Amino acid sequence: MSRVAHRWLAALVAVLILGGIGVAVTYRPRSTLTIGVYSGSYWGTPTGDCYQVLDDAIARFESEHPGIQVEYVSGISTDSYSEWLAQQILKGTEPDVFFVLPEDFNLLVSSGALAQLDARMDADPTFDPEAYYAPSLSSGVLEGRQYALPYESVPTMMFVNKTLLEAHDIQMPDNDWTWDDFYSICTQITDVDQHQFGVYGYTWLDALYSNGGTLFSQDGSSCLLTSEPVQSSIRFVQQLHELNEGYQVTSRDFDLGNVAFRPFLFSEYRAYQPYPWRVKKYSSFEWECVCMPAGAQGGNISELQTMLLGISSRSPNPQLAWDLIKLLSYDESIQRELYSYSHGISPLRAVAEDDEILSQLHKDIPGDGSGSFSREVIGDIMNHALTVPKFDGYDQALTMAQTAVAKVMNSGESAVSPLLEPQREINLFLSKN
Amino acid sequence: MMTKQKHLHDLTLIMTVCNLAIIIFYCLIRTVTTYRICSSFGAYDFLSTVETMPQRPWVIPLQALSLYLMLFLLSYLKFRWDVRSLWGRLCICMAELLLCIGVIACLDFYYSGVALLVLADLIYYIQRNRLRVFFMAVLIILFAFAQFEIVSLPDHSVAFGSYLSYYTPFVRSLFTSIESVLVSGNILLFVLYMILLFTGEQAENDRIRKLNQQLNDANTQLKDYAVELERMTEIRERNRLAREIHDTLGHTLTGIIMGADAALALFPVAPEEAKKRVQIIAQSAREGLTDVRRSIKALRPDTLEKRSLGQALEKLVADFRLTTGVDIFYEPLAQPLTFAPDEEDAIYRIIQESMTNAVRHGHASQIHLSLTWLDHILTIHIQDNGLGCVQLEEGFGLRHMKERLRLLGGTLSYGNGGPEVRPGGNGFFVTAKIPVREKKEVCAND
Repeated sequence: MSRVAHRWLAALVAVLILGGIGVAVTYRPRSTLTIGVYSGSYWGTPTGDCYQVLDDAIARFESEHPGIQVEYVSGISTDSYSEWLAQQILKGTEPDVFFVLPEDFNLLVSSGALAQLDARMDADPTFDPEAYYAPSLSSGVLEGRQYALPYESVPTMMFVNKTLLEAHDIQMPDNDWTWDDFYSICTQITDVDQHQFGVYGYTWLDALYSNGGTLFSQDGSSCLLTSEPVQSSIRFVQQLHELNEGYQVTSRDFDLGNVAFRPFLFSEYRAYQPYPWRVKKYSSFEWECVCMPAGAQGGNISELQTMLLGISSRSPNPQLAWDLIKLLSYDESIQRELYSYSHGISPLRAVAEDDEILSQLHKDIPGDGSGSFSREVIGDIMNHALTVPKFDGYDQALTMAQTAVAKVMNSGESAVSPLLEPQREINLFLSKN
Repeated sequence: MMTKQKHLHDLTLIMTVCNLAIIIFYCLIRTVTTYRICSSFGAYDFLSTVETMPQRPWVIPLQALSLYLMLFLLSYLKFRWDVRSLWGRLCICMAELLLCIGVIACLDFYYSGVALLVLADLIYYIQRNRLRVFFMAVLIILFAFAQFEIVSLPDHSVAFGSYLSYYTPFVRSLFTSIESVLVSGNILLFVLYMILLFTGEQAENDRIRKLNQQLNDANTQLKDYAVELERMTEIRERNRLAREIHDTLGHTLTGIIMGADAALALFPVAPEEAKKRVQIIAQSAREGLTDVRRSIKALRPDTLEKRSLGQALEKLVADFRLTTGVDIFYEPLAQPLTFAPDEEDAIYRIIQESMTNAVRHGHASQIHLSLTWLDHILTIHIQDNGLGCVQLEEGFGLRHMKERLRLLGGTLSYGNGGPEVRPGGNGFFVTAKIPVREKKEVCAND
């Protein structure tokens, strides 16, 4: 062979070696699957062994997939979980599968950290999206595409100070009560001189959701700030505020038993209602929870918060990752376990409306209020709960709207005309997104 | 020329280092800042700001630097490989272009100065103008599109500015100025390179044009000289002829005319005296003839002047054959011999005269000409198939031959007949024998 041929050969070998190094660095055959998980409860409630469900799921997964190990880093608190996950993403060491906090979902999708699941959902014959409550499943959807599966859902409920109601000789409201019922009770209870108030923390958005409206159109292209449901919601909340004659109710007022109503998460109810915890919170009064009051155009609908599970878009083992999130989210026995270790509601119909689970709920909750959470009520809440349609720039648009409404409410003006300008601005912002 | 090439090479090297520095700077800022952000718990805020998942921190440095290394190796090796074929060169250029695009893509199209480096490299390497223009266009478009963001690419990469915004304004401005010094340095180097390259090519072209001009001038001058020389020679020759004629013929003829006039006057008065005068006239005429012969001898045949005898005879025969259409069978001497100039003249003239006679008087259609050499005697035999002579009259030609031979001590015989005679004709032959002198003798006699 000539010298020239030798050189070419040497060059080829050099290229092959470089290419080999490149491939070796980027491709690592992995027999371990990592999962990102937080410790404790996202819902702010005390839990026992927060990793128990996960450990059981992992044990099953490993037995079903021999040779595959699932690992997770324990001890990341819910407060620092978002930051931890972001750090892992920046460093390129994010886990294959991770829990997605509801408030992080938009960011993780828009930054491209979450893999799309539509194709896998369609391709998997053992997976049926109908098994989920639609609102739970749709909380993992952004701009029409599924990016995460629901793990656990928690609706917003109205907490009622039974002691205060009884003192005023008012009946405990039913699960199908309305704004009028709500307003009349607040009117009866409010006595500024005696430092007693109707409601704390009930926002115009809570009112809006139960009034059958949404702030943004379904595709996120326009803001509906001046629409009738929004207007009547704002007016209703304004009316409630006017009852307080300018006094700003605080959470301490509620804790002291001076406020009749406060919207709270369902998980809170489940955590503090059973015995040992019951003593710890609100020991000065008896309390119960009901659905949110229905507006004139809506129903007893509340917002649903859902913990999600997603797959990293850079995962080298997307199929295994899918199997794992399917096990955690879709498997009934794993979902059943959630009721023992967490305080949400399973997004799976079959689990949430299961007799055994329901009786477990009833057993946990003593007293006569427990009867209110029958299969129908749970089904109703979960089927009609509202998952706000999410889109790119949702968080910022929501903040803009809230600022504008707060300004209007503080000034006490009529709601329509001052909101036209903010609505135009928000629409402009949305069109740019 | 060598220094210019060295300068170009040095500039390319500086550009290579400059680009490497920029790439390293870029990668360092990205990677180091990523870890700094993480260690200061700003990852979530950073992610919210950029809303894009950045590449894994080690991917960009690895890809960009390894591709850049390959680019460097290719640009270095291609000058050593000495690829001649067009396709080979084209392949190398395309590979370099692809590597360049790869490097720029690795850097998220943020920095595209590598295109200038490759452009400088390829312009020097490619000699064909069309290819040059093609690669120039591609690379300049690549550079411009990335540099001035003419087309914004689907934005799935984290802007470099986002990393810089992590730092305090002072540090940020420091980094920005380092970056702009390096980037503009690269552009300046490129401009310098192009200026050097093109002024160099311009100077080279000028030099070649100048040399060409000089060559043309010299050529024209030479032609003029040649024409002049020819003219001069002609004039000199004419002068010589004139002098000869004047010195010999003029002098003799004048004497003859005067003598004849005197003889005419004397005839009636003193016939005896007149007879003497006529004898004297005849004598001086003979002397004049000798002089003329001498002069004419000085004017040697042209062909002999330029060629050897053998070649001259070949040419004579060929020319004769051509002009008269007679078949001439020529048997030259077996070995080439050198003769004295007067001998050569005689041989040439005898053959020329005999052949002329054969055609003019004998109307021959074939002539046999042979030269033989035996015991220092050269025999020339010319035989034709012509009419021969019924009544042989020795003309000027034959006499002339005889006289020439006599001067050389040779003999001439001729007559009708011969081996091949055409029907209705006798044919004619001429045989001349010349005793050839030794060379030394010739020189002494001359």
